[in-house]
Amino acid sequence: MSLENGNTNELYAMLRAELRSELAQHEKLMTVPEGGTLIDHGILPDHLVILNSGTVRVSVPSPKRVASMTTGQQGKVFGMRAAISGDLPEIDVTCIEPCNITVLPCDVFLDLLKSHPEIYVAVAKVLSADLQIADRILRNHPRRTAPVPRFRVPKPV
Amino acid sequence: MAMPYNFRIIEDCTKCTFREQRLFCDLPKPALTRLQDIKATAVYPKGALLCLEGQPARGIYVLCTGRAKLTTTSAEGKSIILRIAEPGEVLGLTAVISSSPYEATVETLEPSQANFISQTDFVHFLKEHPDVGLKVANQLTHNCQCAYAEIRSIGLSNSVPEKIAKLVLHWAEQPLPPAAGRKPNEIAFRVTLTQEEIAQFVGTSRETVSRVLSDFRKKGWLRIKGVVWTILNKHALEGMVTT
Repeated sequence: MSLENGNTNELYAMLRAELRSELAQHEKLMTVPEGGTLIDHGILPDHLVILNSGTVRVSVPSPKRVASMTTGQQGKVFGMRAAISGDLPEIDVTCIEPCNITVLPCDVFLDLLKSHPEIYVAVAKVLSADLQIADRILRNHPRRTAPVPRFRVPKPV
Repeated sequence: MAMPYNFRIIEDCTKCTFREQRLFCDLPKPALTRLQDIKATAVYPKGALLCLEGQPARGIYVLCTGRAKLTTTSAEGKSIILRIAEPGEVLGLTAVISSSPYEATVETLEPSQANFISQTDFVHFLKEHPDVGLKVANQLTHNCQCAYAEIRSIGLSNSVPEKIAKLVLHWAEQPLPPAAGRKPNEIAFRVTLTQEEIAQFVGTSRETVSRVLSDFRKKGWLRIKGVVWTILNKHALEGMVTT
């Protein structure tokens, strides 16, 4: 899909044509409805998810508060950190409108990475973008805490 | 030979004794030799600005020794500390790889040595040596994990005393070696952040940090002498951390 339509994404933009062709053979296009989950924290993804169109919310869940931001960046790749490190994702990525995505099996990508380690440059680009998202959430996440009480209010007599 | 300020400069990466412990620096010999050619070593005093938030990326800095704080401006217009960079960390990676401005201001917290590699040289280095790409990926993954851990920590912690207790316990994970006069259960560590910087880290005011630390000292949980802090009652501090 990516090659036929001339579209590209943050991963493919850094790859040689023959590597893009090889990955394109294993791609699958999908449409995910509003509310659909692309990445679930705590579940190791078996596919890289490339956002072709639509807007998603990236959120970092915690028991008391959820920090999040929205992005509609065409070509954004999700799931790379989990694929490379084998660690569970820390984020949820959910569609806030219907999204067109391309999914690419992680094992196919990792096999290609082993035989063509120059792809790590492209991986670094994707991970840089991930870190920019994390820093943006961190910057925007309010840090105000409950004030430390200084005085005790006396009970009414 | 005694070095000024007891500061030892590491001129040659191929002979660095810390190399194998560092995420980025543990490279194969050919890549290391090339790194030696393209890096420029410099020593910075405390308070030096290595790069400014919003400045066009010129290159990366490999922090060889010393520590630095990464600060940015929050949505509320306040200066916040994103994290403290430790020796071995590569600074400015995101900006250089994505050809965007630096995301944070980097300021040294103590006399530090940093090796600078220009953007052009670093991108060529990355393309010529795939092993470097793997190290960069590992560094970025580590940085992401730290960022998300910090986000969760902000979301979890309820009160300033709890946040400061957590921070103190985290710093105590790198204790100073045992010294005469220190009891076995006491944990000493070095803190080079000011109270203002601690406040920026946890998202409160300097006055609140001062009050909380004073409270910890009065309760006999913490002793502070200059840059050396000593935990006297770890169990009590751990009891403050509910999440």
